[in-house]
Amino acid sequence: MESVSDSDSVRLEVSACLRCLSSSDSSRNITVLQTLLSYLDEASHGAAQRAQFSRSHYSRTLRVLITTIEADWVHRLTARQREELWDALFLRGPPEQALLVLLEAIGELSPSTSLDHVVTITEKFLQDGRLTNLLWSYCVGSAQSDSPQLRETLLGRLSALPDIMANKLHHNISPLFLPQQYYPLLASAMLTALQRTCQALRDNINCSLAFVSQTLGKLCLQGHGLVLAAMAPRLSACTRSDMVWQRVCWKLFESIPQRSMECVLTALVPESLGRIVGNLVLRNKKAEFVITHKLLLLQYKYETGVLRTVLGYLAADRDRRPLLIQVLRCICQAWANPSAVKHTPMEQQLYVSKALLLSVSLLKDQELQDLRSELLQCLLGGMQSHLDSSVLRIRCVGMVVGECLSSRMDNADTKLKFEYEQDEETRELLSLMTPSGWCEPEPVDGKAHKNPLNQVSVLQHNIILTFIHKSSDDELTPYDMTEDQEVSQTSPPRYLRDCLESLMSSEDAMRVELSLKAADPLVRRNAFAAREISVQMSKVLLHMEDKYNIQGFLILRHAAMVALAVTDCIPVTQYLTTEFYSLNYSLRQRLDMLEVLVAAAQELSLPTTDKKNSSIISALDVAELPPFQGHDPVHWRQVVEKRIQSKTRRISKGASQPATAKATPNRYAPVAGYFFFPLLKNYDKPEVTFDLLGSDHLVLGRLIHSLGLFMHLAVNAPVVSPIMGSALLDFVWTVRYHTDQMVRRGVLFAVCSVFLSMPSQNLLLDLGDMLFETRTWLTDVAEGDPDADCRSLAVQSLVLLDKSLKKQLKDPQSPSLES
Amino acid sequence: MLKLSVADDANVQPLASLNDHRMSHPPPSPIYTLRGAGGPLNSLHFRCYGEDAPLLFSGSGKGCIHIWNLNTRRTNKVIEGHSGSSIIWVCTKRSKDTLISQGRDMQICLWDLGEGRCDLLDSVWTGSVGFCQCSMLETSPISSLLAFAGQQTEEIKIIELPSKIQICTLMPVAKVGMVMCINLFQPDSCPGPLLLAGYEEGSLLLWDVTQQSILSQVKAHPDPVMCLTFDPTRLRGISGSSEKNLSSWKLDEKNNLQLQGGVTLANPGVSQLCIREDGKLLASAGWDSRVRVFGWKKLRPLAVLQYHTDMVLSVAFSDHQDPRQRLMAAGSKDQRISLWSLYNES
Repeated sequence: MESVSDSDSVRLEVSACLRCLSSSDSSRNITVLQTLLSYLDEASHGAAQRAQFSRSHYSRTLRVLITTIEADWVHRLTARQREELWDALFLRGPPEQALLVLLEAIGELSPSTSLDHVVTITEKFLQDGRLTNLLWSYCVGSAQSDSPQLRETLLGRLSALPDIMANKLHHNISPLFLPQQYYPLLASAMLTALQRTCQALRDNINCSLAFVSQTLGKLCLQGHGLVLAAMAPRLSACTRSDMVWQRVCWKLFESIPQRSMECVLTALVPESLGRIVGNLVLRNKKAEFVITHKLLLLQYKYETGVLRTVLGYLAADRDRRPLLIQVLRCICQAWANPSAVKHTPMEQQLYVSKALLLSVSLLKDQELQDLRSELLQCLLGGMQSHLDSSVLRIRCVGMVVGECLSSRMDNADTKLKFEYEQDEETRELLSLMTPSGWCEPEPVDGKAHKNPLNQVSVLQHNIILTFIHKSSDDELTPYDMTEDQEVSQTSPPRYLRDCLESLMSSEDAMRVELSLKAADPLVRRNAFAAREISVQMSKVLLHMEDKYNIQGFLILRHAAMVALAVTDCIPVTQYLTTEFYSLNYSLRQRLDMLEVLVAAAQELSLPTTDKKNSSIISALDVAELPPFQGHDPVHWRQVVEKRIQSKTRRISKGASQPATAKATPNRYAPVAGYFFFPLLKNYDKPEVTFDLLGSDHLVLGRLIHSLGLFMHLAVNAPVVSPIMGSALLDFVWTVRYHTDQMVRRGVLFAVCSVFLSMPSQNLLLDLGDMLFETRTWLTDVAEGDPDADCRSLAVQSLVLLDKSLKKQLKDPQSPSLES
Repeated sequence: MLKLSVADDANVQPLASLNDHRMSHPPPSPIYTLRGAGGPLNSLHFRCYGEDAPLLFSGSGKGCIHIWNLNTRRTNKVIEGHSGSSIIWVCTKRSKDTLISQGRDMQICLWDLGEGRCDLLDSVWTGSVGFCQCSMLETSPISSLLAFAGQQTEEIKIIELPSKIQICTLMPVAKVGMVMCINLFQPDSCPGPLLLAGYEEGSLLLWDVTQQSILSQVKAHPDPVMCLTFDPTRLRGISGSSEKNLSSWKLDEKNNLQLQGGVTLANPGVSQLCIREDGKLLASAGWDSRVRVFGWKKLRPLAVLQYHTDMVLSVAFSDHQDPRQRLMAAGSKDQRISLWSLYNES
């Protein structure tokens, strides 16, 4: 009964006070405020009354205060009175209610002194550490038992406070409300709350971490994962030795809501997982999914360090080790899956490879023995699908992983060994097998300046060395001595026929080398003689093998064949294009034919200038060819593409040519068809040794790319380019969804060059319906192709197509509109 | 590419990067050439000190000694004194206008060139049928020692000039073959002069002239020693052969010859080696028609000079008093002399 009367009395008194405040009569208001304030003091009222006030009347009181903020009596208060009575009411009561009312008021008030006042109180609220009180009150359960809605609102306000303030205050915001200051403040408040929790647990007081977990989850969900990153070092340090802290931490992460679990874990992952989250992964399904599946197999944006942490976390504890094995199985499957090799982006494959190597390096010998057969299976399947790929990088990754796996499995006799070029990527992959790196980083301050004396002495040593060097004959500068080669005894051939003869039948390595070197200049100098033997010589060169290990053999042979194709264009191109589809050539030879044709077409399409310039150009061409182009189709393609791109830009911009350039007849335009059309025939007739649409997709990709180049070079041949363009689009249509990305790249390149080179009026006229189908296909590729190059090429083609169409539709002179 | 990458880590190896950067300079061209000798140029000798116009003496395979004026770049005089036999060595004495020439006619002739004369002063019969060039050591302003190969293939004779008194005959006991090249010098450590001789079998012998004894012997090359040169101030020398290696050696305190390694050339065969007076440069006349220049201290290759179209037979550095005017001359079988200005800045 007494409590009822108590609660009634409180209610009556508060109502009287509030009435008084809202009335305009101001004489008693100071006393009224004091009365209200006394409910927040321990001294003046009983616990039950205080609880009654803070539970039922506090929010109402604050709201009334806010409504009176404009009243005269408020303005008449002295600064001291205002601070001690008015402001104090907000800062001493239950913090969650105060915060909600404050933010509500800020949302409602328009810019005025009142708003400024409320903002000042909020600022004070933050500065006084009321956030800590807020969190702590939820930890000990002293906060009123609230509804889920209220709690959700509070969480929302807490996590979005900088946004709310910024929306209202725009530029006049106090730095305290900026995310850079607010979130660290919140983080430290959470840490303090956790600290107090630990203390309370030691004193046998029950605490709940649900609210802190929810706050954390909410923050991470909203993309403020950095808060966690700021907390993690402290957590890591505290959990190092303190069991209570460890349990608090584990509990904290276990009670994080399901839907924010992923964000929290990803924000936490760069830090030391094991101590902070404990065996969370075993107890929480969502966490298990994120750690064992999502981070490893679905996402691939993380650094290698993250992989190390995740896998190291799984490996570090006996209970979690079965998960590591399970993860390894999944990764193995993903790595060895031939479809994945074909259809997933390169970056993801690299990521999976890294994960595979890391997890294998973490295995113990016993586990390795158990998994041996599965690993072997994975190795064999994976190697095959990787080596089948036409992308050099994928092959390289496959080789490195294969080597590492086989060496880890310790097959002393059957260890794999590949030859690949060491670059940063392979070195990184190889380095993953050294198991030292995965342990959690420990603070190493104080060790950095290990031995300054040592450094000084090294420095001095260097100086002394330099001095010694200086005083000797190093002061004499050497000249270029690259010309100092061995003098050969035989002299190079002076006649083309001699050259051909020695190429055909000579057994003397020196003579063959000299003839090969002399072939290119001889052909160019004696065009008349070259025409007599051009086809024969092309045949000899095409079948020539590098018997004597001549330096730069491929480049020399290529240059000679290009010279022939340029000098005597029609017969040689006819020969090469027919041979391309005939029996009994190696892939290498077929690729050579394409390369020669492309280079010849390029040279022909360049404007002929005086002799000096042309020799420079040809020299440049040779210089641009990488020495071992044969083993590196990607590089070759990139070089050519780069060249094309640079030209592309010039043409599309319509850059003015230098005024001195003389008009010369285009040598390529009349013969473009000889390069182009024969290659379109026969592609679908599989020979015994050559199946273009089947397994020889490497050649197919190159063929399409070359066709695209021929098309592009025909930009100044308006007569043939429309015919070539529609033929080419027809041709590539069948292979546009080829599984090999090199082929797809070639196709897209070809399409690009069609749009570049065809006169815009012909596009609509000749291509018509096909154009719109192509457009849909291009959009499809631009959105969904796993290969980044393909996507960008598709976008580029779309842009070109649109530009061309727009130009056509805008131009009133265009023939298509007349017709 | 390689050069770039090396130049990148300039912090690590400042010197290496510097050198690589400089290496891009193309080799120099001759500053001028002298034509018209009418034969292969076996021997070159500068005389550029003093007030007179700088002169270059050349001995040709056709038996002519040309005296070139390096100011007008034309021949002052042509001496034909060895009855058409090939001249293998020319030299002048420091003190007087005396020219010494050695020909394949087994004669060594002394010529008086003073006041525009070119009179034959004296001649010495050597009896040597080989190609071994003489070596002269001026012991006092008036007298000098001259070493030359004797009548027997292994024999070396030393006479005093101008008295022509034979001082000694040096004959090795061991079989070392024909004497190929000799160098007479006066070290600070010994009272008497020493003589270095290279032999057909590839050995180098160090003779004490006064004792007529062999001080040291070393097998420097597998093939005949074609040429040698010695730096008396640093007590180091170098010898060339018909193979690709130059062999460098040193004379220690006990007058022992010690091999020090050497340099490998791109092409075999060296006709002559010459060290510049300041001890900084070594030049080699190669059979591959190239002159190679090395830093003498560490034998670091510095330049490969390509001008001649046939074997280079002789190479010489000038004795200009002003170091900036110093020249290097190379004489070749293609009948030309090329003159170069190298590393004259300091």
